Amino acid sequence: MTEIKELKVEDIKKAAEEKKCRVQQGLYYITEFLAGPMCGRCFPCAFGSYEAKLRLLSIADGKGTENDIAALKLIAEEMAEASMCKKGKDTAAFIAALVTDGAFAEHIAGTCASGQCSAFMEYRIVADNCTACGKCKEVCTHNAVFGEKGKPFVQGYPFEIRRKKCTQCGECIAVCPEKAIIFIGKTSEPVHT
Amino acid sequence: MAEMVKFTIDGKEAKAPEGVNLIEAAALNGVHIPNLCFLKGQKGIGACRLCLVEVEGMKAPMIGCTSKIKDGMSIKTNTEKVQEIRKFVIDLILSMHPLDCMTCTKAGVCNLQQYAYDLGIKESSFTRKKFGFSIDEANPFIKRDPDYCVLCGRCVRACKSQGTGVLEFMGRGVGSKVTTANDKPLQDSGCTFCGSCVDVCPVNALLEADRWRKGREWEYKKTDSVCTLCGNGCDITVSTKDGQVMKVNAGASNGSERYICAYGRFGFDCIEADTRVTKPMRRLNGSLKETTWEDALETAAKALKKAGKNAGIIASAGILNEDALTLKEFASAVVKTKNVDTTASLYGNAATLAGSADIKSADLFVVVDLNTDQHTRVLPALDATIRRKVNGGAKLITINANETGLAAVATVALGGNEADALKAIAKALADKGLVKDKKMADAVKGTTVSEAAGKAADLFAEAKNPVIISSPALYAAAANLSLVNGAAISVGIESNAKGVMMMGLVSSGKSYKEMADGATEVLYAIGEVPMTERPKVDFLIVQTSHMTKLAQQADVVFPSAAFLEAEGTIVDYTGNVKYVAEAIEPAGDAKTHRDIITALAKAIMGTSMKAAKESDTKKLAKVKTKVSFGPFTRVEGFDVKVGEMIESVNASVINGSRLLWLKESRVVADNKVAKVA
Repeated sequence: MTEIKELKVEDIKKAAEEKKCRVQQGLYYITEFLAGPMCGRCFPCAFGSYEAKLRLLSIADGKGTENDIAALKLIAEEMAEASMCKKGKDTAAFIAALVTDGAFAEHIAGTCASGQCSAFMEYRIVADNCTACGKCKEVCTHNAVFGEKGKPFVQGYPFEIRRKKCTQCGECIAVCPEKAIIFIGKTSEPVHT
Repeated sequence: MAEMVKFTIDGKEAKAPEGVNLIEAAALNGVHIPNLCFLKGQKGIGACRLCLVEVEGMKAPMIGCTSKIKDGMSIKTNTEKVQEIRKFVIDLILSMHPLDCMTCTKAGVCNLQQYAYDLGIKESSFTRKKFGFSIDEANPFIKRDPDYCVLCGRCVRACKSQGTGVLEFMGRGVGSKVTTANDKPLQDSGCTFCGSCVDVCPVNALLEADRWRKGREWEYKKTDSVCTLCGNGCDITVSTKDGQVMKVNAGASNGSERYICAYGRFGFDCIEADTRVTKPMRRLNGSLKETTWEDALETAAKALKKAGKNAGIIASAGILNEDALTLKEFASAVVKTKNVDTTASLYGNAATLAGSADIKSADLFVVVDLNTDQHTRVLPALDATIRRKVNGGAKLITINANETGLAAVATVALGGNEADALKAIAKALADKGLVKDKKMADAVKGTTVSEAAGKAADLFAEAKNPVIISSPALYAAAANLSLVNGAAISVGIESNAKGVMMMGLVSSGKSYKEMADGATEVLYAIGEVPMTERPKVDFLIVQTSHMTKLAQQADVVFPSAAFLEAEGTIVDYTGNVKYVAEAIEPAGDAKTHRDIITALAKAIMGTSMKAAKESDTKKLAKVKTKVSFGPFTRVEGFDVKVGEMIESVNASVINGSRLLWLKESRVVADNKVAKVA
């Protein structure tokens, strides 16, 4: 039994490493770990990994602070020391290796270089390319696209996407004939063509 | 005695017996190693990781509860490294624990509070977690509040080890909770409300239901005493405040076996029950009226004096040794009657209520003709103790014609005639050449040995300290096995059954049964006796703490001290003399049995009579009878229904406390089952 579980930790690790973003790697790993191999037999691992998940969620959500990184470091350190079995210690090592990565500091600063943390990303309409054809507005089921469909011979305004309403479903990108919609980091400069 | 090993702890030289773990070894030397999940008497599980200590020569910290002490170990319990880990764990627990120490009932004895204080953690540095579990307070005994739970699992293990197994974890890790099967309220889960879980909970997750704003631990006065409600005579710690009992816990401070049933833990309400008698009463114009002690004593004295040798005295076997000895003297020297007997004569006599044994060191139990049961509270502590020992590796042989609960966990369970089964085991032992007693060897000749009896004999031969526990009726037959090895004891139904026998409170005239049927002119009944109808006597004196059915029909009622109100000694079922302390003063005008008896003696004779003291009873209670061979037969005439008798001698405790709720809910449950059937 234990062997299968040990393997599972390895599997989760492998699957996690396929993700580009380091924060997403951590989040995926810890979520799967808590759902599967985490046995809950000792406090440091059971409680520590749960706390780690909360911290990783906060970072991935763009709400991360230096405190979160410090907490993750502490969790990794103490879990490695105090966990009962190898699963906990492996998890600790995995987290420890992650947090020292520069990607975490980047997230705290507000960017996700790999573009996998959706909280850091947005759908944006490049005004120069938009013809106000209205196709994006038609497919958007969340009323996130704002603007008036262009009329012949009338100079309209380019469409905009409301961040708060956007669920990042990607439907609008698929229908835009002008390739005017882009998926880009929130903090990046306005795009012109 | 195990061998002692030497070690050093925090730089101090220390000693501990071999085989104990680091937490126990440290505790023996006055050092506390923090822990939340360790449960004394059980294997450590290493869950909370607070007991990590550093041992010289070891790279990583060692876990205190799962590592055994070894000679020459050098332990450091407070290094920076282990403190860091403890801080981490406590910090995490605090992040999901309600921080309301200011109103928390457990403040002062909460382990979590103590450790947070020791480590200087004001509040958690981790994310606040709240789960909003529902509170189970649908019963009047135990309140379960999972929000406080630290998931140490002590309650789960305590419940499992004693064989009730009601509590279990649901889920794992953060967000899991301890609950019953299908998350049902306790009363629907097979819970016996013994409260063992309450005793082991380190925080406020499991608590007596009535404790809210009834004082906290530091306000309580603690008294080590003994519960005298049934034949088990369990050690208890009574907490009182302003002369009121606030709670009762299992086990005394000397670290005795920790189990008490719902009667012992929650029966104390009866002290203040409406049915309590606090003033002497006398029948005037057909109805009982309150009166003065002088008047009541005078009236009773007149009747007893007039009856003389035709007077009868019956007492419950739950009275203390000192009361029993005083009563014996009173009967022979003051009333001058031979008719004095106790309820113990219903199920035993001086020869069959005997034996002493050390249950703690037993590695094999032979339980004969006893149907112990925690659910119906028939000798529940014995049941729990045996189950715990069996879970800890001890072997169990049950011998009972009827099916018993214990048989399910027995290594060998023998059915059929108990005396024959004992004989067959003896024969198998004789075949092994272990029977040295000639009479016994002769008696078993020609007996056929069944396969099960052979197995039982094998177990018995292997055991180092077998303890044979039997009903009084089969004591003589069962004790024969102790001639081979070990010790034998019989178990009475009332707490001091052995004591009253040792004090010699045995009738040489009319027996209890005869007197209860009205064989004497005047009857003086002491304590709660299992009688509901007034026998045909000219005059009835009842000395009791509560208005029992018998007392309602009496001519004179003397108010006596209730459970927890009197001091003295008893001889428990293991043959040990136990000191029963007075936790609170008798209510109202109530007096102890012996005080009333001596006052009555003065009213009869005009001169005073001394009450027996502990020193008088000590000698009598210490006498150990040597076991000699007895016939392999059941002694007839001792057939009482144990469960019914325990209930009837505790009727006023049950009916005068929240235990009534338990009784009634059981009736409701039984009716439901009956309807379905």
